[in-house]
Amino acid sequence: MPTLLAQLNINPGDWLLPWDSFYLKGTLCSILVGLTCGVLGAFVVLRRMALIGDALSHAVLPGVVLTFMLTGDTQPLPLLAGAMGAGLLAAVLINLVTRHSRTKEDSSIGVVFTAMFAVGILLTNSLPQGTHFDLKCFLFGDALQVGTADLTLMTIISAAVLGLVVLLYHRLKLVSFDPLVAAAMGVSVGVTHYLLMGMLSATVVAGLKSTGVVLVVAMVITPASAAYQLTNRFAVMLWLSGLFGAISAALGMSVAFIFNASTGPAMVIVATGIFGLAMLLSPTHGVIFERLRRGKLARHVRNEDLLKALYRLGPLPEPTHRATLADHLKIQPARLARTVARLRREGLVTPHGSVALTDAGTAHAQKMVRAHRLWETYLTDRAGVAPDRVHDQAERLEHAHDLNDRLDEMLGRPDTDPHGSEIPR
Amino acid sequence: MQPDAPPIDAHDLTVAYDARPVLRSASFTLKQGQMLSVVGPNGAGKSTLLKAMLGLITPDYGTVRFFGKPIDAVRPRIAYVPQIEAVDWDFPITVAEVVLMGRYANHRGLAGWFKRPGAQDRRLATAALDRVGMTAFATRHIRQLSGGQQRRVFLARALCQGADLLLLDEPFAGVDTKTEATLFALINEMSTQGKTVLIVNHDLQILSKFDQVLMLNQRVVAYGPPDRVVTDDNLAATYGGRLTLLEEADQRLAERRNERAHLARTAEH
Repeated sequence: MPTLLAQLNINPGDWLLPWDSFYLKGTLCSILVGLTCGVLGAFVVLRRMALIGDALSHAVLPGVVLTFMLTGDTQPLPLLAGAMGAGLLAAVLINLVTRHSRTKEDSSIGVVFTAMFAVGILLTNSLPQGTHFDLKCFLFGDALQVGTADLTLMTIISAAVLGLVVLLYHRLKLVSFDPLVAAAMGVSVGVTHYLLMGMLSATVVAGLKSTGVVLVVAMVITPASAAYQLTNRFAVMLWLSGLFGAISAALGMSVAFIFNASTGPAMVIVATGIFGLAMLLSPTHGVIFERLRRGKLARHVRNEDLLKALYRLGPLPEPTHRATLADHLKIQPARLARTVARLRREGLVTPHGSVALTDAGTAHAQKMVRAHRLWETYLTDRAGVAPDRVHDQAERLEHAHDLNDRLDEMLGRPDTDPHGSEIPR
Repeated sequence: MQPDAPPIDAHDLTVAYDARPVLRSASFTLKQGQMLSVVGPNGAGKSTLLKAMLGLITPDYGTVRFFGKPIDAVRPRIAYVPQIEAVDWDFPITVAEVVLMGRYANHRGLAGWFKRPGAQDRRLATAALDRVGMTAFATRHIRQLSGGQQRRVFLARALCQGADLLLLDEPFAGVDTKTEATLFALINEMSTQGKTVLIVNHDLQILSKFDQVLMLNQRVVAYGPPDRVVTDDNLAATYGGRLTLLEEADQRLAERRNERAHLARTAEH
């Protein structure tokens, strides 16, 4: 391990470099950005406003450049005012385009924000030679340029935004979940919407030096999307989302130092990593657990199909059972061997010698035959399926044999299925 | 306050989208404790009627008074349950949280923005859940419920609000007959306890159980007690596919408007 680290030229101490007093301002500011964007992001994700978030961050560019041209300075407070003005203009323009043309909202957003971003870039081109305006920092972020004034502003904005979210928690939840009923209750949905937009643009603008306009939307959407995978509770989602944002910022700073990379992209990569893990590992929505669940169901079905085959075919002598069963069930030999072993462990198939059902195995198979015939009866009698077409559906439904008794009762305890076969009790 | 002012008094409500009328001069009055079913084909303006009454869309013409007052004076007394499709079932929220939201209607004005639900609100929410028989599901996520249970939860929210007038948009859509009967019994019970109920409904079989029926197809075709208005003629007029003369006239006018606009454009060039 140490050699690998040495090869990569990584000094373990670099992890802590962002916490060195020289860089501390940038680190703290980024963490505040991550935390605040994360919490607001939960609303953005749930209200499906991700595109608006992206638009706001890009659309502020002309406001910032114009303010810079007017004041000749990069003091954060005037820049914030200019950016907010541009953000507001973008919101109004998007609304106008949507309302007075055939263009739907998503395209209107695209038209407006790209246009404003382009104007912003053209404005920077027209700045006199030698002017100190760091477009690259603005676009891609450079947390190392964060000064005391930036950190102070970010602290104030974070405190204000998080405070408002706590105070207005219930109202924000209502409007986010059910805007129609909120409006019917007399809650001003529009005011709440613009309040959220306002908080979002203030946060995004104040945090621009950490991540830059192009990537800041990732700090809004990605941690919140990760949190969304993991919980069914609104409050928990807000907490997790803020936490993920803060972690992304802190770890991202370290990654930037270790690999000597830009801070903004490093934070976004960490946030994306968290999202990827959440996607894979979420117990309810996660890809891995979903596969496990599906695998479990498939095994259940294979077990039961094998039991039924043995019930039909009777005991099979050891050497020939493989070919017969593999052919009958159309499964690979290795899988068949595993299934037989599993059923032996569960005591449904005799442990040694020829492959045969135990008493428990026979009972289980009978339950399935019963389910199969009951479902066939149900499908013909109640669902209007033709008798010659019910077999395949019943083949699938028979694995839900826990419903047998309810089904039987509902059908009035029939004696035979549509094909005339007896339904075992 | 007028003690016996009707819960709903709609007068001449008219709504048009893009100059195409979807609701035309709808007027009706509903007395306290009555149950009204609004029926009509798709696109007849049933949901539009509800939204216009609630001020969710601004009517082009006409007025509604609730309990003798404009809606903004009495919003806590009116509970609205929108169509089930309007709900975001992936929203991270539990059954208990949804029901508790009904209380927010009573948090009015500037202070309402910051109000947090208190012990009394929680008690009322628990009681409402109990009324619809969903207490055992309080901590479940809304996605983990059957269709009938989901509808009961949203009824519980309306109950929790403590409203006197319930406006329900298709509460029976997409549930089986048995579930529909259970839901109807629940709503009927509220009505016998003095609540006034308006239901947008597609099931013509149950119209006789209502006090009033309003047949809507852009205009009010018939309004009155079911034994009087549920007739073949009225049903044909409501559900019949033929364009009425009025609609035909509107279409002509729209065509002519387009023609004029077109002429004006060509004249410019």
